[in-house]
Amino acid sequence: MTLAIETTALTRYYDDLCAVDHLSLSVNNEIFALLGPNGSGKTTTVLMLTTLLHPTTGTATVCGHNITTEAGQVRNCISYVPQDMAVDIRLTGRENVHLFAKLYGVKNPKDRTDEVLAVMELTDRADDLIKTYSGGMRRRLELAQALVHEPEVLFLDEPTLGLDVAARKKIWEHIRGLRQKGMTIFVTTHYMDEADQFCDRVGIISNGKIAALGSPEELKARLMKDVITVRIEGQYPDHPVDAVSYVGQSGDEVTFTAENGSEALPHLAKTLESRGVRVHAIDLHEPTLDDVFLQAVGPQEEPHGFSDAKFRIMLRRRK
Amino acid sequence: MSGIVTYIERDFLKWSRGRVAVISALIMPAAWLIFVGLALPVRFTGNYLDFITPGILVMTMLTAGLSGGTLLMFDKILGFLNKFLALPTPREDILIGKILFITGRGLIQTSIILVIAVLIGATLLSPLQYGLIYIVLFLFGVLIAAFSTTIALYLDDHDSYSAFNTMISMPLFFTSSALMPYDVMPPWLATIARLNPLSYAIDAVRDVGSGGLPLGSVSLLTIMALLVLVCSITVFRKVTI
Ligand SMILES: Nc1ncnc2c1ncn2[C@@H]1O[C@H](COP(=O)(O)OP(=O)(O)OP(=O)(O)O)[C@@H](O)[C@H]1O
Ligand SMILES: [Mg+2]
Repeated sequence: MTLAIETTALTRYYDDLCAVDHLSLSVNNEIFALLGPNGSGKTTTVLMLTTLLHPTTGTATVCGHNITTEAGQVRNCISYVPQDMAVDIRLTGRENVHLFAKLYGVKNPKDRTDEVLAVMELTDRADDLIKTYSGGMRRRLELAQALVHEPEVLFLDEPTLGLDVAARKKIWEHIRGLRQKGMTIFVTTHYMDEADQFCDRVGIISNGKIAALGSPEELKARLMKDVITVRIEGQYPDHPVDAVSYVGQSGDEVTFTAENGSEALPHLAKTLESRGVRVHAIDLHEPTLDDVFLQAVGPQEEPHGFSDAKFRIMLRRRK
Repeated sequence: MSGIVTYIERDFLKWSRGRVAVISALIMPAAWLIFVGLALPVRFTGNYLDFITPGILVMTMLTAGLSGGTLLMFDKILGFLNKFLALPTPREDILIGKILFITGRGLIQTSIILVIAVLIGATLLSPLQYGLIYIVLFLFGVLIAAFSTTIALYLDDHDSYSAFNTMISMPLFFTSSALMPYDVMPPWLATIARLNPLSYAIDAVRDVGSGGLPLGSVSLLTIMALLVLVCSITVFRKVTI
């Protein structure tokens, strides 16, 4: 089976600035998220994979076709939704989608348009001008445009940027639905929770390089173990317990780390009870993808502009 | 082919939804014609209206063509171009569709001028003559539209495009044979006017109006239009890789 996307040392320079640096990735039939702070090279990567930008060096294939030498075939099997929304506000939703159905050369463009509008839950508003649509509806309309042609690989550049929680969830439910139908989805985002919750695999990109790659669970387990704190009565008798490792005790709080905290937790509780230790409370903090991200990318040293990571750290300190 | 039609359809639909733009596009040239043709007390020739109408027709095509470049500029700035470029439709369809739409819109405007000109006293021509006038205007329209889209592809923002537009349109018009015949121009102006591509089109339309068959200017216009079109396609391919 050919991989949906495969990049080998994909590199792109803008003059002297290296936006994407020897990126090597393989994406199977899955939801793959490219996760990174602003300016890390996500959009540049997507532009190269959608044949809109030539790599400076290195190559990539999409659906088995080379992005530079077989660009036409690549475009035949993909759809692309750019980061900045572009829908004609003077046209209706239906007209916008119908336009793309015809451009893709879909059979029965009219029926297909109605179908995707229904899937995106836009049928009620299909004949209203886009001017009257909310941001979330426009995003769904763009998805509808991309889906009229049933692509093998769908590229979404920050599909949930600027949307509220409910709208984001809705978009992700649609994306999950597409995945179930066998579509490969390559998405970029800087929302950690989304990548964590909805994606099969994530690649964390920083300064054009992959800093960590794997499923969210793997990444969290690999980079930082779960933390379990137990409040007990008296002194903890330092006997090893399976699946957790003892860190230390301060006051009546004993701290352990575990590869998989939620599985280790009941085991730990049972073992402690059986050894006659009275347990008052157990607290489990799962490391989030945020922690993984910060550990992988590090505090961002970005001289120009706004740094996502710094902003996050700042917010945390405030709490 | 179907891609070209679809792109034209999109532009037409968008244009027709902007009422102010449509009305101004249809009224402005007519206003020019009435103002210049009837109000100006100039008498170079027997029927000044017959003399000035070709100039107004070609000027209208020029303005339509030059302002058409903004369409591509906005598609580029707003990200539509990137969306279209990622489609399986042949990429050149975007450019050809744009040029044909700009030219077609100009031809609609010139049709109104032709009707009004007759209504206010210009000589009624034969269908063949009107057909020839449309051919000349079409070729000139393609020439200008291809030129302006090429510039729009090169420039980065809308401000520089409109600066370019103002810089080029007025001088082109006033140094052409639109307003007066060569023999009443000062010699320096006559020299410039004879080199101005606007004059080729204007003279060709005048020639048709007085019963001639301007094969020379038509073939010259055809060659120029083709040359600029090839340039435009080359630049388009280069810009979009
Ligand atoms: N056309 C361009 N010319 C010059 N530099 C560019 C260009 N486009 C992007 N860059 C630079 O390349 C780097 C990567 O940009 P890119 O747009 O790929 O980042 P991104 O990860 O998509 O960021 P964001 O989250 O803000 O969308 C940035 O430093 C950016 O300044
Ligand atoms: Mg981006």
